Amino acid sequence: MDRRSFVKQGCSTCVAIGAGLWIGTLESCGPAISTFKTTQTGMKVSVPLTELANSDFKLVRLKNFGYDVGLQKQPDGSYTALALLCTHANNPLSKTGNGYTCSLHGSRFDNNGNVKRGPAERGLTKLPVQQLSDHLEIQLQEARVG
Amino acid sequence: MNRILGSLLTLLSYFQVSAQQYPVLTQAQKLVIRTGEDSLSAGIAKNKTVVSGYGSAFYQRDFNKGVSAVTLERAVFFIGHQFNSKITFFSETEIENAKVEGGEPGGEIALEQAYLQFRFSNSTYLVAGLFIPRIGMLNENHLPVNFNGVERPMVETFIIPATWRELGVGLYGTIPGRPLNYSVGLMNGLDSKNFEHGTGFRGGRAEGSFAPANNLAITGALQYFVSDFKFQVSGYMGGTVGLSKNGADSLQLNSGAFGTPLYLGEASMTYSHGGFSAKAIGTYVTLPDAYKVNKAYANNVFEHMYGAYAEVGYNFFENIQNKKLQEQELVAFARFETLDMNSQIPSNGIYDGTLKQQHLIVGLTYLPIRNVVIKTDVRLLNTGPQNPELIINPNPAAVPYQEHNTFFNLGIGYSF
Repeated sequence: MDRRSFVKQGCSTCVAIGAGLWIGTLESCGPAISTFKTTQTGMKVSVPLTELANSDFKLVRLKNFGYDVGLQKQPDGSYTALALLCTHANNPLSKTGNGYTCSLHGSRFDNNGNVKRGPAERGLTKLPVQQLSDHLEIQLQEARVG
Repeated sequence: MNRILGSLLTLLSYFQVSAQQYPVLTQAQKLVIRTGEDSLSAGIAKNKTVVSGYGSAFYQRDFNKGVSAVTLERAVFFIGHQFNSKITFFSETEIENAKVEGGEPGGEIALEQAYLQFRFSNSTYLVAGLFIPRIGMLNENHLPVNFNGVERPMVETFIIPATWRELGVGLYGTIPGRPLNYSVGLMNGLDSKNFEHGTGFRGGRAEGSFAPANNLAITGALQYFVSDFKFQVSGYMGGTVGLSKNGADSLQLNSGAFGTPLYLGEASMTYSHGGFSAKAIGTYVTLPDAYKVNKAYANNVFEHMYGAYAEVGYNFFENIQNKKLQEQELVAFARFETLDMNSQIPSNGIYDGTLKQQHLIVGLTYLPIRNVVIKTDVRLLNTGPQNPELIINPNPAAVPYQEHNTFFNLGIGYSF
């Protein structure tokens, strides 16, 4: 391969990788996953109750923290917060139509964090949630692995 | 120049997690920092190194040949280590058929994966090293507890050669706010010299061992989740000649990153609800310069090949009113596969009817606990006729080729 072809193909590769990164910024296709972006304060995160006014689920995306939180409003009006980190090998989980999935080894969890498919053996870590006047306070903690 | 250096330093410092990034620290975080862990790891785990694995063994009866075999098909050991919250190492080491002896045919010891994962965020990460691209359903998720049937699906063995891993980099992510995952990868290409008649392009994979890197491959996949469905499309394009220009010219092959290319496309779907599950996949592979490859290496390769299968299953314990049984699974399933490893051949190729196959597999999958499986099935095989032109030295004692065969399989598997 001559130098010109090498540079040309190298640049094409960079463009392909750049396109992949750009795809990550798209937000306009498919049904939305209700997401709330915030920053934790110490080991606590606050979510306004208005965020769950029109949806029973909220994906809480934390800036510079080890995992996202899946916040689910239960039929009895209580709230469940799940650390979205696979309990098998610590890989971040993806939201699916009926739960969560780990791309690394295929573990699947239902909306309540129960294991539906291995190799994960333990359900997702449930985080304490406290309902205050106009917001929920989630106590972050270490998500157990293995 | 200063700007470039500044940008580079910013990028490099991203993966160095320091306490200074977190001015507000709780007592717990301070404790973690003092013990040598970064503050982000406080949100992850105490265990930094994870050891796990999976394996399977099976018995198979081939009714046409009248022979049976039993083997410890594979035992795989997985080791992962988390350096900090942004950099993780993953690996899988596989021993096939229990035993490997120097100079003797038999098993295999191989790395299935060994890569570093760099996490940009909780929804985007990059992997670098020996990794498994997201192509098909089985390639990425191949644990025996996660698929029905003692044998892996034939389509995802011969058309998509799982477990297919190569050296390179891959970017994985989720579209923000959407149930849409994507992946793109750049890796070493294939080696058409090692393509073997009857196994698609399986023999052309380098699997991390002295891969020719003059030629490259790109791959991409999209996964979409809606309700109880998962849809996926993926594609692959890669060069199959890793020779220098002179070397390739002497064989009348095209060299370069994507010279003598191979293209693969795949679409698949899975569904699971209330104990009922279904999955389907279709895949197509083309090697437009098959004539040149055949001329250079005389390996009677395909120009086009395809494969597809559909499977349905039902877990009898899903809706049963017994807590003990609800934790177990007993799945009855049926899968139909059709494939042709030489659906089109170049003019210098020889058609082989035995590579056009249909498989019907019917069986049971029992999981007494989530990560242990006992499987049994019967596979009915139907192929096209054998081409006498491919029998170079006929064995006078050989029995005539039979286009129909039946296999009985019994297997166990585990993962942890």
